[in-house]
Amino acid sequence: MAHIWPIGGGKGGSGKSFLASSLGRILSKSGKKTLLVDLDLGAANLHTMVGVPYPEKSFSDFVSKKYSDLGDTVLQTPFPNLFLISGAHDSLDIANLPYEKKIKTLKSISHLHYDYIILDLGAGTAFNTLDFFLASRNGIFITTPEPTSIENVYRLMRAIYLRRIRHHFSATSFKSLEKKTQECLGDSFLNKPENIVSVIRKEYADKYTLIKKDFSDFRFKLILNQLRKQDNIALGEQICKIIRKHLGIHVDFVGNIAYDEHVHDAICQRVCFLDRYPHTRAANDLRELNKKMSNAFGEQLMLNYL
Amino acid sequence: MEKDFEQMNYYEMLDVAPNASAMEIRSAYNAALQMYQPDSLVSYSFFSKEERNNILFLLEQAYFTLINEAQRTEYDKELNQQGILKKPDNITALKKPVNIFDINRQKFKATWKKDNDELRRKIAQNPNIRDILSQQEIKGSDLKTIRNELGVAIEKIHQETKIRLDYLNCIELDETGKLPAPVFLKGFIKAYLKSLCIEPVEETSHRYMRSIPGQKLT
Repeated sequence: MAHIWPIGGGKGGSGKSFLASSLGRILSKSGKKTLLVDLDLGAANLHTMVGVPYPEKSFSDFVSKKYSDLGDTVLQTPFPNLFLISGAHDSLDIANLPYEKKIKTLKSISHLHYDYIILDLGAGTAFNTLDFFLASRNGIFITTPEPTSIENVYRLMRAIYLRRIRHHFSATSFKSLEKKTQECLGDSFLNKPENIVSVIRKEYADKYTLIKKDFSDFRFKLILNQLRKQDNIALGEQICKIIRKHLGIHVDFVGNIAYDEHVHDAICQRVCFLDRYPHTRAANDLRELNKKMSNAFGEQLMLNYL
Repeated sequence: MEKDFEQMNYYEMLDVAPNASAMEIRSAYNAALQMYQPDSLVSYSFFSKEERNNILFLLEQAYFTLINEAQRTEYDKELNQQGILKKPDNITALKKPVNIFDINRQKFKATWKKDNDELRRKIAQNPNIRDILSQQEIKGSDLKTIRNELGVAIEKIHQETKIRLDYLNCIELDETGKLPAPVFLKGFIKAYLKSLCIEPVEETSHRYMRSIPGQKLT
């Protein structure tokens, strides 16, 4: 079964699409059949990064039932072994993908035959994004070392955490849990999943062990992008530490990607960064990250919607 | 999440082992401050103002308790009673500072002075030593005999003269191949003789040097 790597992060410019296209390029180059899926619904632009300026088919065609099989919307890119499901020319209301379509999409993705499937997700914490991120246990968070970006990635992590906890409760029992949290800690604490978890620990011991086991199977990753020389190299480790200590989620810090003007150049020229500037620091960092992650990922895939 | 931050013990808050040294605790506290300060990139936007203040307060409390030896033992006892901390015997294995300077050295010199008269008296009275000292050539083994007769340990000579122990051993065992150059050797012998109060120093050392083969006075 394919390895699915969802990539999520803060809004605009944190490098989600860049990372997706670069990882895709590295994996395909090493002979792995790789599929990029642009799930940044309503703001898709991954096709521009991988040299498919005018995609003929798109994800929308699958949603609108023009193609019944998601595999039919796959496009060939100029690079061998690298394939793309584009989000270009999506219908304008694609961002509000209904629930059943989302489930259908997730199911279809899991049935595609590729070595690696990389999901390029949109910014924000819409349920669609969260569910696509939770489609695999190997979600990758990416952020830049700026307070705005880190703030967004924390929000995303909390949202995903809460979304996953939510799976363990029925609608009514979750309501009562929320009520209990409110009673114990007050209104302002509801938006923090760690507070809800601490209530679960006290009130629903059996659920707590279930949730704990569930999260121990996850292998979240964190990547810091655009690290400039003057930035703190230890930042990534510290972020992971604070999350482990206060949220209780294990996030492995994979590494930094150096800030590099060449990335901007390559994107403006609409060529693959790794091919255009293969010997820059950022390119080295990307290859290093890929090596680390390929070793660290084990068997996976959960999709308990199926 | 195993525990809320408030429920952690001080060691867990600072992320140190229960037998951490004061140095480790201090650097752990510094690292924690870096993470939890209001202007820290890591925790900005992660906590609300009250949460942060609370955490900083707890960290400070943890640090001041653990850095104070009396309070720390008190706190350890408390944890022990709650069964959180295991037996305290691994806590006593703390690394203690080691003296670089031997304060007793002054005293040692004073007693050594007193011993000098004692040594002279022994040399004058001991017939064996007098026999050796009347020889034309004195060997390393002779020096060893004298030293043994006087009851002085070789380590004591080493301490007194600062000559390396292996050199002293070579001298006494007559391992001529391993001896230092004659210039140094002569100085060593003089120091050796002086430390044992054997007189006359100059002449006795001459007689020793004569006994060294291949080093006939140049």
